[in-house]
Amino acid sequence: MWESLLEFLVQGIILGGLYALFAVGLTLIFGVLEVINIAHGEFFALGGYLVFAAVVLLGLRPVVGIVAASLGAFAVGLAVYPLLLAPLRRRLGRRPYGALYLVLTLGLSTFMQNGLLAVAGGEYLQVPPHVAGILDLSFTALSYQRILVFVVAMALLAGLFAFLLLHRQGLAVRAVAQNPEAAQAMGINLGRIFSLTIALGVGLAGAGGALIAPQFNVYPAVGLPLTIKAFAITILGGMGNLLGALVASLVVGVTESLAVMVIPSEWQNLIAFAVMVLVLLVRPQGLLGRAVVR
Amino acid sequence: MTTRGTWLGGLAVAAILLPLAVPHPFVLTIATQALIWALLASSWDLLSGYAGQVSFGHAGFFVLGGYTAAITSKSLGLSAWLGVWLGALLAAVVGLAVGFPALRLRGHYLALITLGFAEILRLVAQNWLSLTGGPFGIYGYATFSGLPADPLLRRQALYVVVASLFAMAVIGERTPAGKAFRAIREDELLAATLGIHTTRYKLLAFALSSGFAGLAGTLYAYYVLLVSPTLASPATTALVIGMAVFGGLGTIWGPAAGALLLYGVNEALRFVGVVYNLIVVGLIIMTFVIFVPEGLAGVVRRRPAPRVRRSPPARSTDASRSIGG
Repeated sequence: MWESLLEFLVQGIILGGLYALFAVGLTLIFGVLEVINIAHGEFFALGGYLVFAAVVLLGLRPVVGIVAASLGAFAVGLAVYPLLLAPLRRRLGRRPYGALYLVLTLGLSTFMQNGLLAVAGGEYLQVPPHVAGILDLSFTALSYQRILVFVVAMALLAGLFAFLLLHRQGLAVRAVAQNPEAAQAMGINLGRIFSLTIALGVGLAGAGGALIAPQFNVYPAVGLPLTIKAFAITILGGMGNLLGALVASLVVGVTESLAVMVIPSEWQNLIAFAVMVLVLLVRPQGLLGRAVVR
Repeated sequence: MTTRGTWLGGLAVAAILLPLAVPHPFVLTIATQALIWALLASSWDLLSGYAGQVSFGHAGFFVLGGYTAAITSKSLGLSAWLGVWLGALLAAVVGLAVGFPALRLRGHYLALITLGFAEILRLVAQNWLSLTGGPFGIYGYATFSGLPADPLLRRQALYVVVASLFAMAVIGERTPAGKAFRAIREDELLAATLGIHTTRYKLLAFALSSGFAGLAGTLYAYYVLLVSPTLASPATTALVIGMAVFGGLGTIWGPAAGALLLYGVNEALRFVGVVYNLIVVGLIIMTFVIFVPEGLAGVVRRRPAPRVRRSPPARSTDASRSIGG
């Protein structure tokens, strides 16, 4: 009993690490631009395809593939603001825009997902584990692949937090999140920060897709369930709250993992949505959030 | 007669004459399915285009109607004539229930809660094997009884769709409720200050919209005779929103026309490759949201340039600018 509990706990934390990589990027984008990126999962899929191309097709080393996939998603992400969001922002001017951005990123999601389908086909592509071998703890066995996902995810998130706390551009990102007008008055180029933020967020998703590719396989819609789950996580953590998203990811990962002991696994995905609906009804600012009126 | 009336009238005449003019099963099947999508897109427009409450869960209401119809006919053996209304009614009631959180949430949060709702329904449809048949869905149930066996004569679905489109257009444009919807879309606080019971009207918009979406679902179920969980996927919602944005928000006939055209393009592209349909849908959504916010409706309305000097345009009563918020 205790051994299996511990086993599911460890599995849950590792799952939570992946969720965090995804959800922190999503909530970062929301915090700075007030845009919910419905196409986030497609960048996750893009990362998977890029690592497949690098490792399986070109025979490069996994580490090269993962870096290339992250940079690829980052580069595509750089184009999202100038090509899509900025024109809409220009048209709407100062009017509230809210849901139109959702519709726009929904279009991007549909486009990217089916673009990947057209280019790569619908098969489930398999990527060999980035690292082989299994770590034998006494109560459970963990493949190094899983450990790699978790460790790299945490390292990337630590890097992101350090960037936001210490680097000049990171400070600028936070300034824009707090007050765009004041940040602009201080000489910060809003368009550049918006582009950078989206690229950072989807770059993390691409890294996640590349890291987890051996476990999830690669197919065009691979990111979709994760996107919807990440919405639940970001709401749980408070929209725009990075630390909240990190904590909520671990909470959801562990909860899902432990719930397998109680309810059948095919209902596992329901938990996150049930939690989301509940949180929206009871505490819309999220568990860690403060009530904010914007 | 207004543009709206002309369009809807033309659509109605076309729907009634089509089976007589082109008595070909393929054409008729395509036309019927296109009209069912038109109904779904217009029902989304009633809630999101008129009342400004953007739903990302219309696939959920659609599937709820479809599964209710299929289950009542297959498991309970009820007539399709009953199942159609049961499905629509259940969808309306559930829509009312989903609408309650909408009273407190707006914009992003409303979109996410409706998306979560549709996803929950999809998972239930996929996993509750004994009730829903699991991933393969439900098939092998009876459609409308007492109709001629010749499928060419089964065009009742066309009439129901056209009547529903008319009903929604009338609700949106000619009733106090429609005015209240538009007032809420433009400025909810102002609407409330003017004495509009915003709570009541938002719930009404939810119930009506989800009811019509459910009706589209039941018609789909009885026409295609197969319902499966993939219908509830976000791709369905994306398609519907794409159709509505393409046609023009807040006009009812715009989304209907957008749906007919997109569905036509879809069917035409089927010969090229199924994948390209949705690429086109994605491109259309992005292009129209950014550059053609009024959709086809705006393009059509703009064309007859008035000779008289234009009075300054009224300050936005245009759904494409004011939904969400």
